[in-house]
Amino acid sequence: MSVFIQFVFLGLTLGAVYSVFATSLVGVYAATGIVNFAQGSVALWAAYTVAALRTDGTLVLPFGGSLRFGDVTSPMPMVLAVVVGVLSAGLLALLAHLLVFRPLRSAPPLANVAASVGLMLFLQALVVLRFDTDALFAQPVLPFKTFTLGNVVVNASDLIMGGTAVLVALLLWAYFRLTTTGVATRAASEDELAARLVGFSPDRLAAVVWVVTAMASGLIVVLGAYTIGLDPTSYTYYVVPALAVALVGRLTSFGVACAAGLLMGAFQAVLLWANTLEWWPSWAQAGLGDAIPFVVVVIALFVLGGKIPARGALTQVAMPEVRIPRLRPLPVAGVVGLAALAIALTSDSWRFGIVTSLILSLIALSLVLLTGYLGQISLASMAFAGTAGFTLSKATTEWHVPFPISIVLSAGLATLLGVGVGIPALRIRGAQLAVVTLAAAFAIQSFVFNNPSFTPYSGNLIGTPNLFGLDLSVRRGTDLITLRFSMLVLVVVTTTTLVVMRWMAGSTGRSFLAVRSNERAAASVGINVAATKLLGFALSAFLSGVAGCLIGYSRGQLSAASFSVVAGLSLLAIAYCGGITSVGGALVAGFIGPLGVFYVFLNQTLDLGQYYQVISAGGLLLMAVTNPVGAAGANAEMLRRLRRRRSEHSSTSARTPTVAPAKGLTSKVETHV
Amino acid sequence: MSDQQPLLETRDLSVRYGGVTANQDVSLTVEPGEIVGLIGPNGAGKTTFVDAVTGFARSTGEVRVGGKRVDGLPPHRRRRSGVARTWQAGELFDELTVAQNLAVAVQRPGLRGLIRDVLTGSVPPAATIGSALETVGLVDVADRRPPELSLGQQKMVGVARALVGGTSLLLLDEPAAGLDTHESQHFGVELRRIAAAGPGVLLIDHDMSLVLDVCHRLYVLDFGKVIATGTPEEIRNAPQVVAAYLGSPLVDTAAAVDGGRS
Repeated sequence: MSVFIQFVFLGLTLGAVYSVFATSLVGVYAATGIVNFAQGSVALWAAYTVAALRTDGTLVLPFGGSLRFGDVTSPMPMVLAVVVGVLSAGLLALLAHLLVFRPLRSAPPLANVAASVGLMLFLQALVVLRFDTDALFAQPVLPFKTFTLGNVVVNASDLIMGGTAVLVALLLWAYFRLTTTGVATRAASEDELAARLVGFSPDRLAAVVWVVTAMASGLIVVLGAYTIGLDPTSYTYYVVPALAVALVGRLTSFGVACAAGLLMGAFQAVLLWANTLEWWPSWAQAGLGDAIPFVVVVIALFVLGGKIPARGALTQVAMPEVRIPRLRPLPVAGVVGLAALAIALTSDSWRFGIVTSLILSLIALSLVLLTGYLGQISLASMAFAGTAGFTLSKATTEWHVPFPISIVLSAGLATLLGVGVGIPALRIRGAQLAVVTLAAAFAIQSFVFNNPSFTPYSGNLIGTPNLFGLDLSVRRGTDLITLRFSMLVLVVVTTTTLVVMRWMAGSTGRSFLAVRSNERAAASVGINVAATKLLGFALSAFLSGVAGCLIGYSRGQLSAASFSVVAGLSLLAIAYCGGITSVGGALVAGFIGPLGVFYVFLNQTLDLGQYYQVISAGGLLLMAVTNPVGAAGANAEMLRRLRRRRSEHSSTSARTPTVAPAKGLTSKVETHV
Repeated sequence: MSDQQPLLETRDLSVRYGGVTANQDVSLTVEPGEIVGLIGPNGAGKTTFVDAVTGFARSTGEVRVGGKRVDGLPPHRRRRSGVARTWQAGELFDELTVAQNLAVAVQRPGLRGLIRDVLTGSVPPAATIGSALETVGLVDVADRRPPELSLGQQKMVGVARALVGGTSLLLLDEPAAGLDTHESQHFGVELRRIAAAGPGVLLIDHDMSLVLDVCHRLYVLDFGKVIATGTPEEIRNAPQVVAAYLGSPLVDTAAAVDGGRS
């Protein structure tokens, strides 16, 4: 029992990080209605700033050079370094508010999700670029003292961390409940115009919250980094458990978010201890701690019941414009022919880039269907792809399922998973759904992809595809990627895309758009909204699953890194900016996506491969801010205006009194539906 | 009454929102081909009644359509049993054209829809949609999107959308608000024509000349209860109706804003 309590206390440090992140998220949500996925990466910057200052007094600036405030023998004093580090987080958040989130104030929720995911990826990439992350270590800030409580040895630092978390929650609560500006901030989030009329500036109020919460998050990471360890990825993704506990507090309660955060940290520490116990099953030894957030979210949503209050909006927010695709043989043949030509004329890494882009565009297409048409934000697409990929490995090597059936089987399993992940969508929407799907993606990544009981570290080989004796394997001799395999991918992606376009243009697409537009009205015309949402998740997961199988065949061997959650996040963000409502947007996303053609171009031609993430995430931010409804949305709007003008001209000249109205309609319906 | 089951029959239907009783023991029938009016002052519970019948508000008591109980069924199942409604605020699909708004009501999603989309393209039945749009006089705007239309036109699109997709009972929630006098009269004529073809109609409207003109029978709601029922002539002279409307003119043109309840 005493060991148990020992681990509970050890978990306080990590719990404090979750807790402060969660209360910060609640604060930002109360002030702006934005779910800030970048909360962790802002704090990450602060931690590395302090580490660099304490190592050799270097103050690293986000861009350009760096300033020196000492050297290796006499680095910056601890207190000063912590202050500078915490201020740097505040400054970054202020910049994010001014440059990214303020311009997006009245944009659709998806634009805010895309922007904050983009910011998260951008800052993380920036940290890796600007800091020597391999050489920098966190140095202790808190005292090493220990004391005994009963028969348990407790670190003073763990208690200080927990205390800080409670203090931050208390201060934020007091600010929002007891001070006039805090109450005004909440009011301004609900009704901006009214707040302005009473004389408050919503921008300034929101800015205060952005800065304060970022500084709190920065501080807790700086304090805890020595105990937890410093690396450029984990803090960025601590936002996932933090979001989970913030959801337990309905994104409104500081107290619940704080307590749940501390509890989750303690619980994960206890799980670590449980791993060492003899009776603990081996399949539960890896990734269970990372699966907890998802479980917590699901419990918070279903068992505790109740709804998360949506932010009051003065006007209906615009949704990305949709142009229902029309299948015209010539353009389709043109695009496919061009792709075939590009594959034939290239080889090795360029051809591999093209094939990867094709596969990624299929995943992006699954997002177009689910997010663009049905309006359900999902960040779990890579998890679906990965599920199919790992199933493919088992299906081809252990069960010896032949080639085309193996894809259908594996994608079928991903489909089932998709339906499961889609169930929360029956209760929640918007950014909260994004949180749940992200938590699900992490749970699947950690518990399944990274769990040696399911996916052995020794590698997950995939059998070579054969069709009627024809060898379609990806490699032959020194050929990195064969023409045959590339054409196979082109055929599969083209066929699937054409089928999806038929869905989009047909009754399925129309019903999806109806559900996206107005669920109540959709139910009133006889659409089963719940079933339609699950259908969307199923189709989307199936498409991702097919793509995951193609990724599997193209690699020949899989690891968890083949399907990282990050890749899925950037793909959604890229797809959003390219045009989440159009097939063209999916193609653009595939082109720019990780390891695609754009990456090969940066890496091979410009030799700038290490800048790929900064460039793509930065470009993403820029696109999200300048074009909140997506590039395709802007184009479609322009096209529609042009067409309207033209059709008005032609219809006024063509209108003749002899045409029977019903007949005129028939032709109209056929051409426009 | 004959042995035949009424098209719509509610028995002791009650709806409570927290401590507020929005409908109390409302019993009402609509026969095939009949236009029944539901009137009452603002806040009397008219929209709540439509919500309860179509499954958008939790209710107690019985709701029967063609003799079959539908209370407890979700909204889409009730729609499939033939009960269609319109909304006070239009509630159209803004991203779809007018014709597509109707098409959604005809071709519903599902596995069969997926296959049909791929094989045939699921072209919406132009004749069905065309005749519904013709009924409400909106053939010209078939390829426009709802935000480009006037409020009155949007209401009419809502009516057309309720007409397609297998409708035996039509619940119209203030369809004529936003129409001018001439359009309203024309709508009344069309409504008679729709009902004559078979479906029953329950009409809520504040345009008293329209309601008194087209309805066969009327129910008057006040504070959630039925306070009078009868022919338009009987209702016009019923003392309790005049009392309910006392202080407000009988022809109340102000549209009640009581959306957002469900």
